[in-house]
Amino acid sequence: MTGAAALPRRNGELAFDAPWQGRAFGVALATVRTLGLPWAAFQERLMAAIAAHPDAPYWDSWVAALERLVVERGLASREEIATAADAVRP
Amino acid sequence: MSAHDDDHHHPAPVSPVEARARALEELLVEKGILRRDVVDAIVHAYENDIGPMNAAKVVARAWTDPAYRARLLADGTAAIAELGFGGAEGEHLRVVENTPAVHNVVVCTLCSCYPWPVLGLPPAWYKSAPYRARMVREPRVVLREMGCDVPDAVEIRVWDSSAEQRYFVLPERPAGTDGLDEDALARLVTRDAMIGTQRP
Repeated sequence: MTGAAALPRRNGELAFDAPWQGRAFGVALATVRTLGLPWAAFQERLMAAIAAHPDAPYWDSWVAALERLVVERGLASREEIATAADAVRP
Repeated sequence: MSAHDDDHHHPAPVSPVEARARALEELLVEKGILRRDVVDAIVHAYENDIGPMNAAKVVARAWTDPAYRARLLADGTAAIAELGFGGAEGEHLRVVENTPAVHNVVVCTLCSCYPWPVLGLPPAWYKSAPYRARMVREPRVVLREMGCDVPDAVEIRVWDSSAEQRYFVLPERPAGTDGLDEDALARLVTRDAMIGTQRP
């Protein structure tokens, strides 16, 4: 597509402020799809994370919700996630 | 190596939330639960193909085709599907029309529900605590702060999105646009006008 009307970011804003946010978005969508869950299964956890920490940055709430979904569904434990996070950020 | 190369050897520190986000992806891929290329495709789609230019086409069609406009207002999901738009968060879509007497604005007070297939992903301000809390309480004031002056005589209706229902606004067609085709009309429609925080 070409032309001004084609740009998803025609208002000058990027879809994500940082690549990791885009990845967190994609992982959340892919995870609910893989689990055969409705989007509401993630979205209700997002609402809960925001309610628990109303002043937290949005993407912090998003990642908290994703982590909760992953742990509650038995896909990974909190210990595994913490260990893997240490490997990313020594 | 030139002096400039030094700038590329000091990456920004990784925040704890970014580390957890990346860890989650790595773990799920390692465990065979997710495929990296599936995640890549989702990110690519939302960075490139899915955005407010979709809803702008819907608006332009509604401005030029009264029967389509009626179908759009009756069943947003079905009407956007006529133009090939749909998918995640496109269900339960209601389009609300601005008139000389009514100005509509959309919010999600509890998180960030938003009609992705036609508007893409919401801007940061839509997801912010002040917008979510204040738009339902004092819409005229908040809109004015955002540069959208709604005359006192015009009623403001605030639509709170949720998992059960999403919205976007059908703005009024600007005066002096009779000769324009749909493509030209679509270029006049901004994302903010379709959330309701701007009047053309």
